[in-house]
Amino acid sequence: MTKLEIAIWSFPVLLLLILFRMPIGLAMLVIGIGGSVLVNGSWIPVLSQLKSLPFETFSNYSLGIIPLFLMMGQFATHGGLSKSLFDAAASWLGHRKGGVAMAAVGACAGFGAVCGSSLATAATMAQVALPELKRFGYSGSLSTGALAAGGTLGILIPPSVVLVIYALLTEQNIAKLFLAAVVPGIIAAAGYMLAIAIYVRLKPDSAGQRDATPMRQRIKATIAIWPVLTVFIVVVGGIYAGFFTPTEGAAFGAAGTGLIALLNGGLTKERLVASLSQTASSSAMIFFIVLGAAAFNSFLAFAQLPQEAALWVTSQGFAPYTVLIAILILYLILGCFMDSLSMILLTVPIFFPVVSQLDYGMSAEAFGLWFGVLVLIVVEVGLITPPVGMNLFVINSMARNTPMLQTYRGVVPFLVSDMLRVVLLTAFPIFSIWFLTS
Amino acid sequence: MLTQLCRYLALFGGALLLFITILVVTSVTGRALIPVGLGPIPGDFELVEFATALAVFSFLPWCQLQRGHVSVDILQSVLGKTVDSWLAAIYNVVMTAVSAVILWRLWGGMEDLQTYAETTFILQIPVWWAYAACLPLAALSVFASLWTVLRDIREALAASRGGHSGTEAGR
Repeated sequence: MTKLEIAIWSFPVLLLLILFRMPIGLAMLVIGIGGSVLVNGSWIPVLSQLKSLPFETFSNYSLGIIPLFLMMGQFATHGGLSKSLFDAAASWLGHRKGGVAMAAVGACAGFGAVCGSSLATAATMAQVALPELKRFGYSGSLSTGALAAGGTLGILIPPSVVLVIYALLTEQNIAKLFLAAVVPGIIAAAGYMLAIAIYVRLKPDSAGQRDATPMRQRIKATIAIWPVLTVFIVVVGGIYAGFFTPTEGAAFGAAGTGLIALLNGGLTKERLVASLSQTASSSAMIFFIVLGAAAFNSFLAFAQLPQEAALWVTSQGFAPYTVLIAILILYLILGCFMDSLSMILLTVPIFFPVVSQLDYGMSAEAFGLWFGVLVLIVVEVGLITPPVGMNLFVINSMARNTPMLQTYRGVVPFLVSDMLRVVLLTAFPIFSIWFLTS
Repeated sequence: MLTQLCRYLALFGGALLLFITILVVTSVTGRALIPVGLGPIPGDFELVEFATALAVFSFLPWCQLQRGHVSVDILQSVLGKTVDSWLAAIYNVVMTAVSAVILWRLWGGMEDLQTYAETTFILQIPVWWAYAACLPLAALSVFASLWTVLRDIREALAASRGGHSGTEAGR
């Protein structure tokens, strides 16, 4: 076998191991080490690489952003921020048709601004919103569907752990990527609300009526969410303005949300311990996948697979958009059974060199940002596609009286909204890169 | 006892993250206040790097014990509890081997760094110190993985003894 053949054959083997429940990071690490040995015909290069690879991966300054963002999300989860966000959103939207579900989506968007994880956003908002949705007579399928979809706003709206990883893999500017995701995030929230509005008109018995909130209380509820807004503006604005590095911004975010949680009385000793131990577990999981991906990708690079793949695609003369759409569809399929982070780490190092060779009529920088946002959105859809969308499981386990099948059905309108948004953002890159056109 | 040790270690790593947070906020504030005579903490960059690495190494054993490493669930219900537990046990054997390799290579890396006497740019900290600090943590990862092998074998045996009800409980 040539080096290239070894690299190509490593994929089915890897996918088979992953399908048979081998932890994804471990599978990539093992295949990466094994593949390097085969390609080099010797153990020596990979063993000397492993002297420094784990420590250097774990001590990478840019990756330091990840545990800090995770801790920020944990503080936000335990800090009672979700309640004030939901109250504010419900005071403005609650009395409309389907308004309480819209408020849940809106609050998810707000929560996503201080939390970089979808599961945490979905689970946290569900705690607050599910009882309210039930109280106002919303059907289980609409409630769970809206919250599962709303949760995906957690990674879509910056800060986003997935975007950080993408930025590192493709050497993009994290601040600009965050900014590029803001408008698509707002479009997503609006699209979900529209989906709810249409759904409740088609099925009027799936949502009840809630009284309007007096203006004075609306203003009061809105003022109550200023700490969340402040943290978001300081973190994202500060990073973008170059006042601090993304990692420093994450530290400020963690300090800010921690402080809010502390002042709200949400950060008791037990909850602090719970936050830290949860942060520990998620951080270790992510760093281990990153380590596995580093080993795997360095094996692919040894075998020159990314270059060869890029050469092959350009020599075939495929239309650029055909390639792009094929990749997006592949992500949608993979997303039905793989988690977003592993998908990005596994595929972007191969796909990015391929697509960045093609001409999409924009600068390399603009393309990098646009492609990142598109990939982020399609992998995020994977969180709510049956059969194994993680958000669906999390929300369904919290709504005890709703059968899984109803949740599957409830998420369909949101999937439709997602698909339309992918088409919209693919057709109009300007929504992602508006700030680049001077 | 191993569980307790790993838990405390994870919390120690969490404390390191809090330390990083405070360090960075102080340093950036100092940097912003240079006009009034304050300044950033020297070497904050390096300290963040070392503290993060140390934190991650202290998180890993806890993650392994908590089954925190993500895997794909699509075949879980098809395979049933017994097969699933045996697979988990096998993968934990692989994990033990990989952790041992990481430990062994970390040691090798430390020896290299001692030979070259490499230090950090600003604070002149010998880099091998950081490797040395991570070594016991990496060793604990090996033990934690080994422990999960035994745990999952025990579970697999229990599930196969439980017979047919075992497959039912798979979901």
